[in-house]
Amino acid sequence: MNPDFEKQLQRQPIRQIPREWRAPILDAASRSEPPSLVAVVREWLWPHPRAWAGLAAAWVVIFLLQFTAPEPPRVARSSTPVTIQTMATLREQSLRMAQLLGQWDNPAAPAAAPAPPKPRSERPRQQIAA
Amino acid sequence: MASTRDIGRLYDDHAAAVFAFLANLLRHEADTRDVLQELFVKLARRPALLDGVREERAFLLRLSHNLAIDLIRRSGSRDHRHEQLSAEPMPLFAPSANPDEQIFREKLAEALGELPPDQRAVVHLKLWEKLTFEAIAQTLEIPLNTAASRYRYGLDKLRDRLRPIYDEFK
Repeated sequence: MNPDFEKQLQRQPIRQIPREWRAPILDAASRSEPPSLVAVVREWLWPHPRAWAGLAAAWVVIFLLQFTAPEPPRVARSSTPVTIQTMATLREQSLRMAQLLGQWDNPAAPAAAPAPPKPRSERPRQQIAA
Repeated sequence: MASTRDIGRLYDDHAAAVFAFLANLLRHEADTRDVLQELFVKLARRPALLDGVREERAFLLRLSHNLAIDLIRRSGSRDHRHEQLSAEPMPLFAPSANPDEQIFREKLAEALGELPPDQRAVVHLKLWEKLTFEAIAQTLEIPLNTAASRYRYGLDKLRDRLRPIYDEFK
């Protein structure tokens, strides 16, 4: 390197900052506030404003459809009272179904084993007499 | 928020150096002012940025460098405007009463303007801020060897460009 050349360059003074810049720059700095929520949201949404606006519009349409759509028919609620006969029929059907399902689930279940002989005192008198 | 007095003190202590750096880097008066203002607005909004900072000058130079690079990237489409303005470049050096010296300063400003911005930044910080290569590397967030090589290349170009006038001026 050539130190003379470097020193020669260093001796050239760069112009001063314009004095009239100070007041407006400091004024702008003093007026600046910490970013508000609105500013943060704006900065966040700014890169793709149309995409966000489209998404917001879609949500608005969904809400409007939700509130303006007719009420769906209530299937579960019946207007006719259930009679006692109907209830009995339903109960009978459910019992049969349970029996059928029991057989179906356990088709090879062995028949009930014969009961052991009862004590003599409880045997029918005919048997004792014989 | 930083108080107005703090920002005023920062401005008085460092704005001249930051201005010189930005002027050399951007070579455009309005852009230089915009970035300088953006820097102080940023400091006013986020005073915590200065917490734990030892070298305020180096820190401000780093922030201003980042802002200037952002501006250069953003304004890529404005290059043609800068080319138009290059016919009347922003005066970089103080005017001199000595005609020879004045010519040398004008030629030096032109030669600096022909350097790539990364070399120009290193040359400026080394010559006019008198920073060490280590400090330059930290300020510009580049490796130490890169800072040194950019300075060497930049200075070689300046010497080649200014050799005829320098020999006369010397």
